[in-house]
Amino acid sequence: MSAEPVPFKARTNIGRLAFLLIVLASYLFLAAPLVIIFVMSFNGNQYLSWPPENFTLDWYRVLPEQSQFIEGLQTTLITASSSTALVLLCGVPAALALNRYEFRGKGALSAFFLSPLLVPTIVLAVGLVLILGPIGLTNTYLGIIIGHFAITFPYIIRTTLMALLTSDTSCEEAARVLGAGRFTVFRRVTLPIIAPGVIAGGVIAFIVSFDEAVISLFVAESGRPTLPVHVLRYVEQSADAAVAALSVILILFSLLIVIIVERLMGLRTALR
Amino acid sequence: MNTLESKLSLVGLTKSYASSIPPAVDRLDMDVEDGHLVALLGPSGCGKTTTLRMVAGLLDPSAGRIMVDGQNITNTPVHKRGMGMVFQSYALFPHMNVAENVSFGLQMRKRPKQDQERLVQQALEMVQLDHLAKRRTKALSGGQQQRIALARALVVEPTLLLLDEPLSNLDAKLRETMRTEIRQIQQRTGATTLFVTHDQDEALDMADRIAVMNGGLIEQFGSPRDIYERPRTRFVANFIGRANLIQASIDAEGEDQGEGLVQYQISVADHGRFLAVGEPGMAGTTRHVLVRPHRLRAGPSGSDAEGLRGSVESTSYTGDSISYRVRVGEDLFTAEMLTAGQDQLRVGDEAAVSWKASDALVLPEEVS
Amino acid sequence: MSTTQAISTREASGRAKPTGTQERRTARRNRLTSGGLLVPALIGLTISFIVPMLWMIRMAFNEGAGSGVVIETFTLQTILDPLTDSYYWWVIWNTFSMGVISATLCIIVSYPIALFLTRTMSRWKGILIAIALAPLLTSDVVRTYGWMVILSNDGILNTALMNLGIISSPLQLANNMSGVIIGLVQIFMPYAILAMISGFGRLSPQLEEAASSLGANRFTTFLRITLPLSLPGILTAFLLVFVLSISTFVTPRLLGGGVVQVLATSIYDQTTELLNWPFAAALAVILLILFGTVVGLYQALTKKLEGE
Repeated sequence: MSAEPVPFKARTNIGRLAFLLIVLASYLFLAAPLVIIFVMSFNGNQYLSWPPENFTLDWYRVLPEQSQFIEGLQTTLITASSSTALVLLCGVPAALALNRYEFRGKGALSAFFLSPLLVPTIVLAVGLVLILGPIGLTNTYLGIIIGHFAITFPYIIRTTLMALLTSDTSCEEAARVLGAGRFTVFRRVTLPIIAPGVIAGGVIAFIVSFDEAVISLFVAESGRPTLPVHVLRYVEQSADAAVAALSVILILFSLLIVIIVERLMGLRTALR
Repeated sequence: MNTLESKLSLVGLTKSYASSIPPAVDRLDMDVEDGHLVALLGPSGCGKTTTLRMVAGLLDPSAGRIMVDGQNITNTPVHKRGMGMVFQSYALFPHMNVAENVSFGLQMRKRPKQDQERLVQQALEMVQLDHLAKRRTKALSGGQQQRIALARALVVEPTLLLLDEPLSNLDAKLRETMRTEIRQIQQRTGATTLFVTHDQDEALDMADRIAVMNGGLIEQFGSPRDIYERPRTRFVANFIGRANLIQASIDAEGEDQGEGLVQYQISVADHGRFLAVGEPGMAGTTRHVLVRPHRLRAGPSGSDAEGLRGSVESTSYTGDSISYRVRVGEDLFTAEMLTAGQDQLRVGDEAAVSWKASDALVLPEEVS
Repeated sequence: MSTTQAISTREASGRAKPTGTQERRTARRNRLTSGGLLVPALIGLTISFIVPMLWMIRMAFNEGAGSGVVIETFTLQTILDPLTDSYYWWVIWNTFSMGVISATLCIIVSYPIALFLTRTMSRWKGILIAIALAPLLTSDVVRTYGWMVILSNDGILNTALMNLGIISSPLQLANNMSGVIIGLVQIFMPYAILAMISGFGRLSPQLEEAASSLGANRFTTFLRITLPLSLPGILTAFLLVFVLSISTFVTPRLLGGGVVQVLATSIYDQTTELLNWPFAAALAVILLILFGTVVGLYQALTKKLEGE
């Protein structure tokens, strides 16, 4: 079916070029805010101006002195890593049950496990603040961790299930025949084999929790604002270049996560 | 049934999944002698793999018993059975190197470190792969992976060695060499072995005993020679080698031919009377008669021609031999003959097919 | 022999359940194990998801007096209130139109990328896909901030245009709906691209080549072959971006500059500023219903398309 008559091809080159230019423009639009932030973070002028004036590293230099950002970062790191650990501990066994065991209502259960992604975050945030407020868990680490559990859980389930689905179950059978009990099989064989998927899920859960602003805003705005909440509140006041340096660091951090996930199982597979 | 002397006995072993479908394995009885290699041979879905997995402990039987050395192990969990198993996909642990794979079973048995190293080294030498000990398993060829899997199964000195279609993922040439190699290793170690395969050549070549399975039942259990030369059922005759099967009335029992066979007068509908051999006591019934294609002669239906008369429907030439398909009434016969010194028959020629009495076997299976 | 007996009882009982002792034991153990494996997840989701959602829905049936005062009752009034108030109809309309417009624009700018990524044979394909999806994992606060830098009155675009003398006074691009929509379009592009790539399964270059070899020009090929075949992907991407847009808070809040009122911003105001929790819950329920309707539609559609 190689229908490539020569005159046709000559004609398409212009059309193809136009198409590629449109694609390029779309990519540029997609990258615009991130690129702009990057440029602005080296801009010597406090006010936004274009083209940028004298190059400076001042914004990065003063960053560690901004105590609210450092505190926010601390809160974010504590809550994001705890909620990631928690969803991993709950999610991996659940995915194992869904994939390796037979029971009734399995389809419904996996749909339920993924359903937090089907609810607007802000709606869940209202529910969380209503339930956590009366028991005194708003503005606490635990409150934020509980709030981030549901929205990160589906990612673990998805990536772990994907890894289990593509793993060879006869490896586990081989280990059992060779004398390993169920837990040993899990620890020595299953877990190492599905590790890339589990790590990818954990990394995504971490970045989702790390970047999450809405639930943190509702649950802990006044007492324990996370870094995204600090940034949000700062930006609400003024959109100057001061946050640019911080944003660049956050973007680079996300980029690192992207590379890790891409290496482990492919970004497209992990996010689908 | 001599349970005490046999290494492995299956007694009424049954596996059924649902009441609506026939059991995957149906009241299976089998005894395996110590040191034997037994092939479970049959088409896919015949229950051979199910049987093997029940012996391994990976599947629980619905009924029946599994005895090893006279001990009932039906309720022993898989990891306490001490079996060695090689899987179709080899199931090598992808995150361990070759030596770690082989030593896994020894680690589970908590053998001392030095023992582990020594035994792993010995096992790898046995399969001639000791130079690959530190390699990752993914980098190995199919044949190498298969040998590692074998070493991993044998290093624990298993009570039974279980092989689940171990050769089916290899290319044809490698399969032949691996057959010999597995057989040699098995004989050297004396490991009693159950071997699942759908390949009759493999079974005939390697096994001490073959159990031909069909529909969850053992159709016939015997030595390769028995299975090939004295099939008891139509299924076995068809599955092992190629077969011409004709339905015939068994008229009169003739003289004893030795080896438990007697001669019979048989008559094939509309075609006359012939001679065949079979187990005694079948006179007066209707049975299938088996003649292997290379024992069948086809020639021009001249004046002195004996046998069944028909016409050549097609021929195929394969160099060493030529085979004719001859239509005789309802039946189609395949005769395979050496090319040398034959009068060539052509499509449409009148031809006669005939056989020696001792080459035609009356099958004991009743015609339903 | 005991085995034969076992078999005959088995046959008499009709072989409904596992009959071997070990079979039954294993089945029970598997039930226990799978149950045990599921328990932590179920507890976690109950605390962090089920209870808050149910509690929120229950709250919508209470009456609120603001300043944290909740009158425990069971009434539909709180949900009906915004639906009879023209201001909230305006808010709902804002939400809805924001969703439709940003989804439409998002499809338009994402379609070329998705089409390109489906077709390309480049060895950079994997990296190009990763670049298109990577913004998904960056904070929406940061990305919105980027748009504020670009779009605000003293932002980059306006200063650049004024320096070049193209305009004399700044264009109103931020602190209004158009700014919000520009931000949302970019923020949800990766989702749209992802959904479209998955939906373009039936597109193949061979089909297009076949069409052009039959004499169709480029435009006709696109209109008659490419577009109809990519319609399923476009539709799912549209609905996805729509539901994501109507439930987003950060972008309308920041780029809207307090002027743009949608359900999400109203919910925030009611929850944290006016402390009228039942009313906030009622608005959340309305958003949930709007969201659920579209998600239901989306799933029915994907099921239908997968069934084909």
